[in-house]
Amino acid sequence: MMKRNPLVLGHKTLKQITEDIVAPVETMPSKGWLGLFLSAKMLFIFYIITLALVVSTGMGLLGVNHPNGWGTMIITFVFWIGIGHAGTLISAILFLFRQKWRTSVARTAEAMTVFAVMTAGLFPLLHTGRPWLDFWLFPYPNQRGPLWVNFRSPLLWDVFAVSTYATVSMVFWYIGMVPDFATIRDRAKNKIRHTVYGILSLGWRGTAKNWSHYEMLYLLLAGLSAPLVLSVHTIVSFDFAVSNLPGWHTTIFPPYFVAGAIFSGFGMVVTLMTFVRIGFPEFKNYITLDHMEVMNKIIMTTGLMVGYAYASEFFVAWYSGNIYERAVFINRALGAYGWSYWVMVSCNVLIPQLFWFKKIRRSIPIMFVISIFVNIGMWFERFVITVTSLHHDFLPSNWGNYAWTMYDTAILVGSFGMFLTLFLLYLRVFPAISIAEIKPVKDVGYGGGQH
Amino acid sequence: MSDTHQHDHDHDHEHDHSADASSASVPAPTLRDPRYWLSLEDWAKDPEFQKMAEKEFMSSPLQESDGEDGWARREFLKLMGASLAMASAGCIRRPVQKIVPYNKQPEEVTFTVPNLYTSTYFDGSEALGLLVSTREGRPLKIEGNPKHPLNKGATSVRAQAHILSLYDPERIKGPQRNLLNKAKTNRDTISAKWDDVDDATVKQLNKGGVVVLSGAINSPATRAVIGDFCQAFGAKHVTWEPLAHEEIRHGQKASYGEALVPFYRFDKAKVIVSIGADFLGTWMMPTTYTRQFSAGRKDIEKMNKLVVFDPHYSLTGANADVRIRIKPSQQISVVMGLAHEIVVKKGFGRFAGNASVKAALEPFAGVVSQLKMEPALFVKLAEDLIANKGKSLVVAGGLPTLTAQAQELQIAVNFLNSVLENDGETIESKNSLPGLTASYSEMADLIDSLNKGTVKTVIIHRTNPLYSLPPSFGFKDALKKADLVLYTGDRNDETGLQSDYLIPDHHPLENWGDAEIGRGLFSIHQPTIRPMYDTRSFELSLMTWGYLAKKGPKRLQEFETFYDYLRQFWKTDIQPKAGKGKSFDDFWDEALQDGVVGTQASGSSSRTFKTEALSSVKPVQSQGFELVLHPTVAMGDGSLANVAWLHELPDPVTKICWDNYVSVSIATAEALKLKEGMLLELTVNGVTKELPTHIQPGLHDDVLAVAVGYGRTQAGKVANGVGVNSYEMVGVKKGQAIYAGAFVEVKNTHKKYLLANPQGHHTMEGRQIVVEATLKEYLKNPSAGQHKHHIFSIWSGHAYNGHKWAMSVDLNSCTGCNACVVACQSENNIPVVGKKYVIQGREMYWIRVDRYYVGDPANAQAVFQPLMCQHCDNAPCESVCPVAATVHSDEGLNDMIYNRCVGTRYCANNCPYKVRRFNWFNFAKLIEKPMHLALNPDVTVRVRGVMEKCSFCVHRIKAGKTKANLEKRELVDGEIKTACQQVCPTDAIVFGDVNNPKSQVAQMFKDKRGYALLEEFHAAPNVRYQAKIRNNDQEGTAHDNKGSHS
Amino acid sequence: MATIYKPGMAAIFETEEAILKAAHKVKEMGFKKFDAITPYPVHGMEEACGIQRSWIPYVAFVMGVFGCSSGWLLTWWTSAVNWPLNIGGKPFHSLPAFIPIMFELTILFSALSSVAALFYACGLPRVNPPIIHPDLTCHKFAIFIPRDDVGYDEGKIEGMFQALGASAIKRAEF
Repeated sequence: MMKRNPLVLGHKTLKQITEDIVAPVETMPSKGWLGLFLSAKMLFIFYIITLALVVSTGMGLLGVNHPNGWGTMIITFVFWIGIGHAGTLISAILFLFRQKWRTSVARTAEAMTVFAVMTAGLFPLLHTGRPWLDFWLFPYPNQRGPLWVNFRSPLLWDVFAVSTYATVSMVFWYIGMVPDFATIRDRAKNKIRHTVYGILSLGWRGTAKNWSHYEMLYLLLAGLSAPLVLSVHTIVSFDFAVSNLPGWHTTIFPPYFVAGAIFSGFGMVVTLMTFVRIGFPEFKNYITLDHMEVMNKIIMTTGLMVGYAYASEFFVAWYSGNIYERAVFINRALGAYGWSYWVMVSCNVLIPQLFWFKKIRRSIPIMFVISIFVNIGMWFERFVITVTSLHHDFLPSNWGNYAWTMYDTAILVGSFGMFLTLFLLYLRVFPAISIAEIKPVKDVGYGGGQH
Repeated sequence: MSDTHQHDHDHDHEHDHSADASSASVPAPTLRDPRYWLSLEDWAKDPEFQKMAEKEFMSSPLQESDGEDGWARREFLKLMGASLAMASAGCIRRPVQKIVPYNKQPEEVTFTVPNLYTSTYFDGSEALGLLVSTREGRPLKIEGNPKHPLNKGATSVRAQAHILSLYDPERIKGPQRNLLNKAKTNRDTISAKWDDVDDATVKQLNKGGVVVLSGAINSPATRAVIGDFCQAFGAKHVTWEPLAHEEIRHGQKASYGEALVPFYRFDKAKVIVSIGADFLGTWMMPTTYTRQFSAGRKDIEKMNKLVVFDPHYSLTGANADVRIRIKPSQQISVVMGLAHEIVVKKGFGRFAGNASVKAALEPFAGVVSQLKMEPALFVKLAEDLIANKGKSLVVAGGLPTLTAQAQELQIAVNFLNSVLENDGETIESKNSLPGLTASYSEMADLIDSLNKGTVKTVIIHRTNPLYSLPPSFGFKDALKKADLVLYTGDRNDETGLQSDYLIPDHHPLENWGDAEIGRGLFSIHQPTIRPMYDTRSFELSLMTWGYLAKKGPKRLQEFETFYDYLRQFWKTDIQPKAGKGKSFDDFWDEALQDGVVGTQASGSSSRTFKTEALSSVKPVQSQGFELVLHPTVAMGDGSLANVAWLHELPDPVTKICWDNYVSVSIATAEALKLKEGMLLELTVNGVTKELPTHIQPGLHDDVLAVAVGYGRTQAGKVANGVGVNSYEMVGVKKGQAIYAGAFVEVKNTHKKYLLANPQGHHTMEGRQIVVEATLKEYLKNPSAGQHKHHIFSIWSGHAYNGHKWAMSVDLNSCTGCNACVVACQSENNIPVVGKKYVIQGREMYWIRVDRYYVGDPANAQAVFQPLMCQHCDNAPCESVCPVAATVHSDEGLNDMIYNRCVGTRYCANNCPYKVRRFNWFNFAKLIEKPMHLALNPDVTVRVRGVMEKCSFCVHRIKAGKTKANLEKRELVDGEIKTACQQVCPTDAIVFGDVNNPKSQVAQMFKDKRGYALLEEFHAAPNVRYQAKIRNNDQEGTAHDNKGSHS
Repeated sequence: MATIYKPGMAAIFETEEAILKAAHKVKEMGFKKFDAITPYPVHGMEEACGIQRSWIPYVAFVMGVFGCSSGWLLTWWTSAVNWPLNIGGKPFHSLPAFIPIMFELTILFSALSSVAALFYACGLPRVNPPIIHPDLTCHKFAIFIPRDDVGYDEGKIEGMFQALGASAIKRAEF
């Protein structure tokens, strides 16, 4: 079999591994972390204020209008949900494929997933006209005489899909951390930490019987999450595909959205991992260049997939002979919002092709820049899909542009504040790499190490 | 006056005699105006109710929740329980906590059932018979009186909108005095007492030199009062309107010897040629003429033909079968050119041999070469006219024809009509329109005598010359020379500021009156609400002064109320004309109930045309850009400018709202490097104005068209500063205002400016949206121009037993006049959002009229399409709503449940027609008191964050069904009318039950011209459109929409 | 669930190999109730200790089926039986539109119930359970034989542990 590079560098002993990984949890935060955290926090507060203003005054503060009923909030929702896919994908699907390299990035990727889904989850709730009535979207028995929800609506599917996904991915993430919490608990010198992590660890002791159940459950969750993660973005894509708008009503959307989600997810993982490597140098031995390279390969591949999707959309628009479809796509590339379309294409299809070169794949600064481009491109993809279809539909008399306001900007930027705050906190208090999972593979890649 | 009299009418304080001072000194006007009750007495002689009401309108529930939101539903519920009187007593300024139920209900008032009172509306040139629907004592909506022979139930945009001027918060609440300094420049106003006003006035009146300056008045009784008054004080009555029809009267005088405004019969005409006369939009009596015009097009095989020589893009031009863009200076050439073609070339008519005529026509031999039309078309038109002699009609008039040669143009037109033997056929001189006596020359004379100092007192009524009279007339300075200026306007507006006293007249809806709508057609004008403020009718003011000065005829002095005067007048003057052989009371009641009595004068015969008049008609030289000023459908002369509905209503042709602008042709825009909205500087007659540009397809390259009626400075919060006052660009020549043809210098300022245009795109991009065919195509194939799609469903679908509501819209009848839009707005409490939000795309209209340009842009034709919720059987909006807030009723209605809606806006996105509107903000909060009184209690006022849309007036459906149930009978087809259908002057909209095969809508659905919008998506709309047919001798339409396969 | 901690003998081992060997030996000695404590799942430990395959998958399957059918029942009953509405002219029971709901509920029920099953199987959560040695969750391994195991004899066990090269042997409660 092919010779593979070590997954963990520097011949670590079990003890070293534990110490390396729990170091950020057990030591005082660095100035850099504090700086980052405080600025993220400020942004988060600013975000909360913006949302409060929008909710109290009305959706009219945003650029949404007639005909563009959906805007920044839905765009950014899809953006974050998309990012929220890499985590589960890495930890579940790669786990099923027995990809050992996943272990060192899985935990952080999952964390990213959970936080991204949390960030995303706010939008569909807040973008409604009367957010305080959102609970009406749940089919709960009530006193109003038969009064139920409409299960034919993709938005309702969303409610189920996103909440299920949030729950399961959170559980998956937490279960994975339980043994590591136990580790921290047992290393704890002071009372408080011992209690806190004792509670988090649920009293885990790692007996062989427990481990066998545990591994089985982990396998099950992986097996369940894999279709789930695919279903979620499929259903998110239904929000568009099930409607009858030209540019939305497309059968290619589910796979196209999933590919895009993986693409953007890995983009974000690379971005964050470069941060982690800078923030915690000792992690370089666990999140190695090889890991980064593999992810870059995936980015390049999924980049090609979305490129294919873009192309086939145009082909189908032309081939269908549907004049509304054609008009929308011509308008997409050449119309009022043509620029956003080309931003999308260059960021998502062209730039990632640089990863054909090994040098670039393995250069941290370059891959960082590219990953940022990927994030930008993927936000614009959702912008293009949402706005360019709405603003140019069937009756020309309805055509109208999106009235972007400063509140749109505030919400888009602010949502990063929320995400980063949560993520930075996570880096401090949770083991950023799965200790229990990394130990079995510590010898992989060294001669005679087991596979 | 005697105290015994006092005793009889203890609630009557009309006159300013000693006993009155007491009540006049009460801070709030309470028991001042009794006429409202008198009106009720005519309906229900119910003294008990009267007493109760008087007790109760001391307290008003409207005063509760003062200062908070404009219209709380709870408050409305209280109002439901409040008395007729209280509901209308919006003026009382006393905080009140209790509400009073209708313990004694007047027999003619039933809760939740509107009472309809007949009334009239007169905007200075068009008079309409109205039905004012009132609920619990407050007028809610203005509808046309179906019994009325002219408008037949239809009304105009402004007639409907003037209800808001009743509830305008900025009306002055009582008489006021302007403390003017010598220069009459200051702005200090104090409130006055009627007594003081009257004393001061009578003192001044006795000094003589009195002039009553009023707008056109079509009320015989009012004219009589003014007549009596003039007689009493040797006063002079001057009538003036910005939109006068003087040129027609002058033209008629010169051509036939009698100055009159004839009544035109577009319904009798087979070929109609209009030169600048926008008779479908703004000219003379558009609603009536639209009715006539569309009546001539219902039978498509025999439909009439409309040819318009359009100096700007008028609504009439937009509806023309053949539209030729011209500039004002070409108007005479067009008419004389036609005459030449007919009389000289074709040798047609009784003037054929006439040498002098020939001589007069000769200069116009080759005019067609100057026109932007192929000569063949011109010849064809001449032939059509000859072929339809006596059944054709040539009209010219309105501001765009008011060049220096306005009168000559009229003479030419009259000549042509005489040649074609239309005079007496399609032009009824015996049936001339009374009341259209407004005159610029009289105004000019008044100004002269003011300057001479012979006029000491000016009483200004129903007109606002300091806004709408071109300053070049110099009225402002002249007026300063008068000793006393009284103004009856409802606000301290441009004219008010220059008056010594503001003596507010009642709002028309608060006042008694009458109208002579056509010769021999008389209408009564009933009040529908007790005067809200301490106002006094203009007529009563004149009567009061006559009484106090003990001058004038008996009837001027003896009556205490104008109501009494009116009754007396009708007894002596009207009944002999219109109600012979009836007891007066029957006659009177009939007049009140039907709203109209008498019949239009008939027996017009052709008059002899004075050929010598022709000699004055000479070709006109023109140079460079020519100015065209024109009124708009919404704003008219600008007197109702403070009504927000009118500002937000998109112009029928340009679709722009909340502004006036200068329209330039595409070529001119390119030449001047203009972009839409860019500010263009116009200099005309030494006046320089900066207006935003609108690039108008189909406009003559030398024409710059600007709307009048904007740029008010003192009208109120809504109107002030909206647009530019283009009256100031008008020039004067021999006492005549020159609205068109003046040479304009232009300068592109390259400054940007945003115009609010709710319509996004103006061509159909080859999609099957408005189906159009020429008459020739139609005769070959009734469904010409349509591409039918093969549609199938994978399941049988839901069954609709019982009613299934549906609507049919005949695009061949619709003229795009927008009356339906305002009707819907008034009926369904649709908020106005203002310019900023229209620009952001947040307008709220449930029905809108899309206008698309077709054909060559330089010479574009227009088509209109009213678009409301299509109530699709397979409604795309319904299936995507997560909370089932919009679902289908078993009668085929697409119901919107406001209180279930959480506002995901997915329904709006998924609606192929985009007819759903979202409450982006809490628009209802912006409704200022007392405007909330105009809200229709049958329709929920929507809160922030919910979706709304056309409901097919579901509340009217319910009301109709309930009525039928109570009367234990089946619904009658046509019994239920939607608001838009009810107001439509062309009967383009038909609503009803398609499950009833005999219903009109079911018939329309069978029409071969019928098609559903975006049929191919199989949303299965319950609205069907009928294709537009253009009677223009072409083989094919200007555009072709057969590309829309999907 | 409430667990009674049992006293017994525990031996600490330093390496994965040692613990595997030890586990085998202890099994051969015929102990039944003993357990091995490792910081991470050690390859081959199941057969070493003779642990049979976990039963959690059955729970997952049954609950998955339950979730799916409850999803169908919910959608069918609400929109076709309890409150049939004509929505967009679609059939009351529009099954294709209900599939996403059914799918999501399948996953949700299956996943959450398997987690519950783990908690049951491992007796989680435990409040502050006795720990043989803190390094057992870091880099050390241990075997624990409860007193109530067949043929429990402290002397013999201690001997065996020493033979297996235990770094430490102690009485402990576990």
